[in-house]
Amino acid sequence: MNNIMLLPILIPIAGAIAVFLQNRGQRPISTHTHIIHGNRALSPILKEAIVLLAVLANLFIAVKLFGKNINYSVPWAGFGLEFVLRNYHFSSFIMSAVAIFGLLVTLYSTAFLRDKGYARLFYTYLLISIALANGAVLADNLILLLFFWEGLLLTLFGMIAIGNPNAYKTATKAFIIVGVSDLCMMSGMAIAGKLAGTLTISGISLSISGLGGLAFIFLVIGAIAKAGSMPFHSWIPDAAIDAPLPFMAILPAALEKLLGIYFLARISLDMFKTSPHSWASTFLMTVGAITIIFAVMMALIQKDYKKLLSYHAISQVGYMILGIGTFVPVGIIGGLFHMINHAMYKSCLFLTGGAVEKQAGTTDLEKLGGLAYKMPVTFVCFIIAAASISGVPPFNGFFSKELVYDGALERGWIFYAAAVLGSFLTAASFLKLGHAVYFGKNRDSALFSTGPNTKIGRCPYFSEAPIAMLIPMVIIALACILFGVWNYLPLKYLIQPILGEHLLEGRNFYGFPTNPMLVIVTILVLIAAVINHLYGVKRTGSALRAAEHIHYAPVLSKIYEKAETRYYDPYEIGRKLVKLFSRLMWGIDKAIDWIYNDMAPKSAYFITDRIRRLHDGNYKTYMVWSLAGAGIILIFFIRCHHYSF
Amino acid sequence: MLEDIFIFMEKNILLSIIFVPVLGAFLLPLLQNISKGMRNAAALLMVLVSLAGSCMLAPHVLAGNKITIFREFPLGFNFVLTADMLAIFMAIVSSSVSAVIVLYSFGYISHYKNQNEYYFLVVLFLGSMMGIIFSANLIFIYLFWEMTAIASWRLIGFFREPRDVLRADKAFLVTVFGALVMLIGFIMVYQSTGSFDLAAIKEALKTTPISNIAVILILFGILSKSATLPFHTWLPDAGVAPSPVTALLHAAVLVKIGVYVFARLFIVTFTLAPIWHVVIPWIAASSALVSAGAALVETDMKRIIAYSTISQIAFIFLGFAVGTEIGIAGALLYILMHGIAKGGLFLCAGIVEQNTRTKDITQLGGLIATMPVTAISFLFCAFSVMGIPPFGGFFSKYMVISGAVNSGQVLLMVTFLAGAVLTILYLFRLFNMIFLGSPKFAYAPEGSRVMVFSVALLAAISLAAGIYIYYPSSFVQVAVKQMMGVGS
Repeated sequence: MNNIMLLPILIPIAGAIAVFLQNRGQRPISTHTHIIHGNRALSPILKEAIVLLAVLANLFIAVKLFGKNINYSVPWAGFGLEFVLRNYHFSSFIMSAVAIFGLLVTLYSTAFLRDKGYARLFYTYLLISIALANGAVLADNLILLLFFWEGLLLTLFGMIAIGNPNAYKTATKAFIIVGVSDLCMMSGMAIAGKLAGTLTISGISLSISGLGGLAFIFLVIGAIAKAGSMPFHSWIPDAAIDAPLPFMAILPAALEKLLGIYFLARISLDMFKTSPHSWASTFLMTVGAITIIFAVMMALIQKDYKKLLSYHAISQVGYMILGIGTFVPVGIIGGLFHMINHAMYKSCLFLTGGAVEKQAGTTDLEKLGGLAYKMPVTFVCFIIAAASISGVPPFNGFFSKELVYDGALERGWIFYAAAVLGSFLTAASFLKLGHAVYFGKNRDSALFSTGPNTKIGRCPYFSEAPIAMLIPMVIIALACILFGVWNYLPLKYLIQPILGEHLLEGRNFYGFPTNPMLVIVTILVLIAAVINHLYGVKRTGSALRAAEHIHYAPVLSKIYEKAETRYYDPYEIGRKLVKLFSRLMWGIDKAIDWIYNDMAPKSAYFITDRIRRLHDGNYKTYMVWSLAGAGIILIFFIRCHHYSF
Repeated sequence: MLEDIFIFMEKNILLSIIFVPVLGAFLLPLLQNISKGMRNAAALLMVLVSLAGSCMLAPHVLAGNKITIFREFPLGFNFVLTADMLAIFMAIVSSSVSAVIVLYSFGYISHYKNQNEYYFLVVLFLGSMMGIIFSANLIFIYLFWEMTAIASWRLIGFFREPRDVLRADKAFLVTVFGALVMLIGFIMVYQSTGSFDLAAIKEALKTTPISNIAVILILFGILSKSATLPFHTWLPDAGVAPSPVTALLHAAVLVKIGVYVFARLFIVTFTLAPIWHVVIPWIAASSALVSAGAALVETDMKRIIAYSTISQIAFIFLGFAVGTEIGIAGALLYILMHGIAKGGLFLCAGIVEQNTRTKDITQLGGLIATMPVTAISFLFCAFSVMGIPPFGGFFSKYMVISGAVNSGQVLLMVTFLAGAVLTILYLFRLFNMIFLGSPKFAYAPEGSRVMVFSVALLAAISLAAGIYIYYPSSFVQVAVKQMMGVGS
């Protein structure tokens, strides 16, 4: 009964169809919600019930498949394109994680999206995304993987585009960036398939020299672009503003990171023979280090809750790529552990952002403040998640970062230094965010009485978020503690088996970090971040402006200024280049067209005009022509005669 | 005895695939005297005869047989029809898309004059196309080829404005010029082999590659008909034609004639010198880039889609020309997927054009609110052309790219990759400017029911062709085996 392998794909798809077919006459519920008609009240609940049922069934299947080794294969498109699914430890681990985040975010969305007109479409896209993600991690054929993987473009586009009437621009940007990287991945797969003679992932083992190196780079581009690394990142901050918040919590924060890093690990561990001292390692670590630093620099100066988080969603990918790029076991373990930890704390952080947005009606840090007393549960969840991402012991982020540091230091101090600098800035920006949102004076007192989204009549005052939104946050926050304090659980049972015994060589990576020097540096950096924050607050008298001494530092201010105007956005640079290129091509096209439209007719007229003028009506001229013609015919016949007889 | 009847029937089916539309077209103007509906139904029926006939021959051909009709004529002008996998595949694709286009025409063309001429030419065109597909004699390929040129000439100039007539003449002159040069190439082939029959030519050229001059001459015809650089500029100009015609000519059928004949001659019949496996893909690559770049600058939506066709045709050439098995399979699938999706795009553009009276995308916007079905159909077809899974175009795009890689031409692959990126860019630009953003029309209703049904059908087929890729792909696998097969 290997057909069970199809269920993780088919169940969410079936759920998506069921939700999509729900009555679409849902208008955003007005302020008169208490008198709405029974039928209309039932429908959103039915819709939510279907979605919850689908994600629960999906979780059930994922748990059932966990750790089992099952293969499933049917013929497909031929030419090596086979429909092969393979369930083993790594894929079932990712699938379970996707299922859990899917369930939690769906539960959250039932409250968050209740009064949104686009809820039906959102759930449809969400379920399809889960199905495609499951398919991608189960696929054991490169093109089958790409089939599911690239299919995610559609839901990516859809989920961003429903956010607001102008969100389609961001959606297009996301589609183009990720689409281009997927095309690169397709080329990489074609090359890998040619070199290996097979498209079956578990049957590929290539070296990274020559064409193999090109295939490696193309495949890595696909993987890290999905994860949101630089230079494929610039749609994420835009999406943070335009897309519905649950989208941010599930796709860029969790699902895409899981997929991207999953595939990066598959490339590095299984498909290519990589060694710590290869160019590939340096390449990946450089990408990782650059991503860490530049993204966190941008995060530091943001003045919007969601946008600040989105830059961290980019920056943290850098740690994962850096960790895996070391190609030493401790680094890879750290990168993979960071992947799952990041998915937890980042989606938790986005969920707290959503709670603030829903209750306060804004995520603008200028307007927020003092929410700790109004929203205590959200606040505590935020503190735990923020401590995790900043690498404060004993939360989960601390342990994975230490493993990444360990690996990075083994490969070169410069990478370690970049990672530590990144941690300093991460901590600084979260001190700023937490301080500005949850403490401090509320700057806009009007907010408390009439927040745009607070429901008048039902919830007249500003308060904690609904229970359906709190449960997912609390669960994830608790898991952050669990994965930190009892880190042997995830490391021993989830992460270490991915590498397999031959790479681990009997070592274990759980427990407290073994290198005291690294821990001391981390603690010092955190203390420095606190001092820096206090200095900034004292200097400007405002938590929000605590980073201004960095923002307006001599050289940095110029760079920041340009970055704020998207001067460095690779997408914008690419657009300019494409514009230039297409102008050039347009010119070539017009030049060719000129030959047909102008040159050809004009020369025809010219020639015929000349010939016409030759007909001058003069008897003598015509005589000469006739004689000349007769002469030519005569010569022709003589020559023919000469040759043929 | 029974077998004889079968063979007799099959031969008649093969003849009727071509001659029911070719001869029946002349009856259509007369039928209008009975009723308009009758004429329309008859036109659709004739196209369906071709489709049904092709489908009926498919099982027999799939079993590995070929159906041949041979009548000897003087001077080597033998009338030879052969139905093999390649021909059946092409016939089914062309006639099925044509059937949807004729259906759409019921709604579209009912607003205009000269409907008799329209249906006459469309059906004649389809019949001539079938003639090209099944002919196995160079002279008859040429004859049917020119018949399509005449039909398309009148169809492009259908609206009779001076500009339209001029552009129709341009298209006619360019393609006929190419065809005449090709005819010289055919005569060269005749001189070296002593026959116009493809089977005899294949036998004669078994060991030696065909002369390069003949290849160049024949390429003139093929490239001009399939609108490839440097003979491509007539295609965007031909956008003045009625939308169903542009769909028929630009997307589904006419431009595929060139690539089909390319496959028929240079893969199935002749042996090419190795250099052509490099030169032709690079011609195609430059065509793909130039036209894709032009599509990004252009603001007339039908011209954009036409440039897109030029660009996508280059991918088909790539697949056929690199000469690897997966590349050829990809090119065949590309013909299928592109025909469906690009036909859908043109038909959607037709709905937009008819209901807003403009083709300028800078004047359009926000139409998704009033024409949702058209918008979603357009988007689906665009996804298929871009090659996004689960739409059918994904597989064909991967296979031609893979074909380039398998032939060892990585730089070529990278160039086409750039072409694929530009495809995403210009199609999104087109979609966003027409259907998204702020609405600029107070009243822009959805098209008539039959038109909307047609585009939705093409969009649905684009999706289904990807999800159920197993079926078209297994057909193509057999076809490629037969095409590459030695001695068959």
